[in-house]
Amino acid sequence: MIRIEHLARSFAAAPAEQKPRSMLAGLKTISFKRSPRAMVHAVRAANLYAPNGHITGLLGPNGAGKTTTLRMLAGLIQPDAGRMTVDGIDVATQPQAAVARMGILSDARGLYPRLTARENIVYFGQLQGMDRDSAHARADVLAHTLDMRPLLDRRTDGFSQGERMKTALARALVHDPDNIVLDEPTNGLDVLATRALRESLRFLRTPEGGNKCIIFSTHIMQEVQRLCDSVVIMSHGSTVASGTVDALCARTGEADFEEVFVKLAFAPELGLAV
Amino acid sequence: MNPFKCVLAIFRKEVLDALRDRRTMLVVLASSVLMGPMLLFALSSLISTLEAKAEQRVVMVAGIEHAPSLQNFMQRQTWQVKVAPPDYEQQLRDSKLGDPVVVVPADFEAALVRGDAPEVELVSDSSNKQSESGVPRVAQLLTQFSQERATLSLALRGVSVALLSPIKVQERDLASSQIRAAQFTGMLAFIILLSVVTGALNAALDTTAGERERGCLEPLLMNPVASWVVAVGKWAAVAAVSMLIAVLSCLSFLPGQWLLSSDTLQAMFQFGWVEAALFLVVLLPFAAAASALLMAVAIRCKSFKEAQANSTVVMLFVSVLPLVAVFNQTGEEVWHLWVPALAQNILMMRVLKGESFTTLQVVVPLLVCVLITAVSLAFLTKKLRQAAVK
Repeated sequence: MIRIEHLARSFAAAPAEQKPRSMLAGLKTISFKRSPRAMVHAVRAANLYAPNGHITGLLGPNGAGKTTTLRMLAGLIQPDAGRMTVDGIDVATQPQAAVARMGILSDARGLYPRLTARENIVYFGQLQGMDRDSAHARADVLAHTLDMRPLLDRRTDGFSQGERMKTALARALVHDPDNIVLDEPTNGLDVLATRALRESLRFLRTPEGGNKCIIFSTHIMQEVQRLCDSVVIMSHGSTVASGTVDALCARTGEADFEEVFVKLAFAPELGLAV
Repeated sequence: MNPFKCVLAIFRKEVLDALRDRRTMLVVLASSVLMGPMLLFALSSLISTLEAKAEQRVVMVAGIEHAPSLQNFMQRQTWQVKVAPPDYEQQLRDSKLGDPVVVVPADFEAALVRGDAPEVELVSDSSNKQSESGVPRVAQLLTQFSQERATLSLALRGVSVALLSPIKVQERDLASSQIRAAQFTGMLAFIILLSVVTGALNAALDTTAGERERGCLEPLLMNPVASWVVAVGKWAAVAAVSMLIAVLSCLSFLPGQWLLSSDTLQAMFQFGWVEAALFLVVLLPFAAAASALLMAVAIRCKSFKEAQANSTVVMLFVSVLPLVAVFNQTGEEVWHLWVPALAQNILMMRVLKGESFTTLQVVVPLLVCVLITAVSLAFLTKKLRQAAVK
């Protein structure tokens, strides 16, 4: 169970380059004083509740603040305000205990190119506190689930996008976490791999699969419709709507979910009041 | 989760990762391990050529036909007199001729008899080391000749020869043979110091800026591991690689000595197990500090390339600081021990000279190294999470 309440975070924006009109004017504008930087509100008010045995979609356009929110959840960035709990454990006060209860597939999913897929997976297992043998056993199980057995003992250098993704996913799930957080996991996966991933997530949601709490961040509407039990829509750093796909359709009076999303996420741009 | 176990897991992975980078590793190992012995070999062949020259007792003379008495003297002193080639000046400039040339004027014999002190030139080129090294010996030979002539003239006139030398000069060189050798072998300490830093360089940059560039740092920090554990584990691995190179390059001097063809140098350059161990006492803390410093510099950089550019500053300091000892003619001063790289160079020179360390000489550089390591690791810990997401 993951709960995010009123989360906010702003960053100093990169300094804007002023375009000089001529070389000479350009030289004159060079100064070593730091100009005061504008603040960018990456996340303003993110709210999310993801219960166990439930797949929660986090849907939002590019730059909506999904990745920043998930990074705060992983303890990589300190929030300016708000509260996050994982199974009741506060991320701010007990970051390590909270992170240990999650398997996070982050936006950056770099593998170690000189290690084999298995070594990549076992390494993260050890950092999660597993011993070598159980980490190896777990790598075999995950390789079976994710259909990547032939890859397991190859070095990850030269893996295809889909193969990298599977390895990174196995690495995130090595400690069999109760909470699974996936940041755009279907990026670069082909149809079959996407289907396989969807199937395994559906299984993980069931009581036999462990009744996991799954957060699935994406900007693809079809993914949400096919897979998620409920959806949280983020736009401009804030949660603008949440509920099941059907409930959101009813709320906006649209039959097509894409229209629903556009209406909810781009309301200010379109001059709509929802 | 046990932090020690985590450090160990990170250490193991990083060392494996570094060793699997075979090509880089081979280049670093080959250059650091072969550099010392090769330099020793080059030095020893230079010295043995000089020694061979000294033993040959050959003197090059232009116009010896004008000076039969000089030729007679030289041959009596068992020197071999050779006629200098006509273009000896050019050959000396081009380093083709390895001996200084004595130039005898045409009226030498007549002037000598008249007592007009004929002028004999001794020609060498100071940029031609071989000819330069022969000058003192030939000059001494010529002095001996004029002394003999003077002695004979005085003796004929019934004057005591002792009047010619009212004082006696006895030269006594205080430097031991090892200290004299250290003038040649001092370069070796410097080379080892550099190879320790270059050895750490690649691993240090790869595990920080390289992983940041590949996007490995963010997933790594999403494990329930404190930043300092990650920093210490990574640093331990880089320091281990650097120390391995320090050990290998020190040990390479042991068989390297067999390459010394010159007996004199072999006698002077005494590098046994004790010296190797003392070198390591100096080098291992330095390797640890250099690794931490390089990692702290590299964590600020977004790519491996940027980190390489930034690390040249560290490399520059390591190569320039030891020169303070060379340029500073006032000798060893206390503050030298507080300067990293310079202190290590000074201590290694002491080992080569066969001198012992005082407690201060061991403790101060060690303290500096521990301090650099601690500050760098603290900085690395602080920056790690920030670097992972940017």
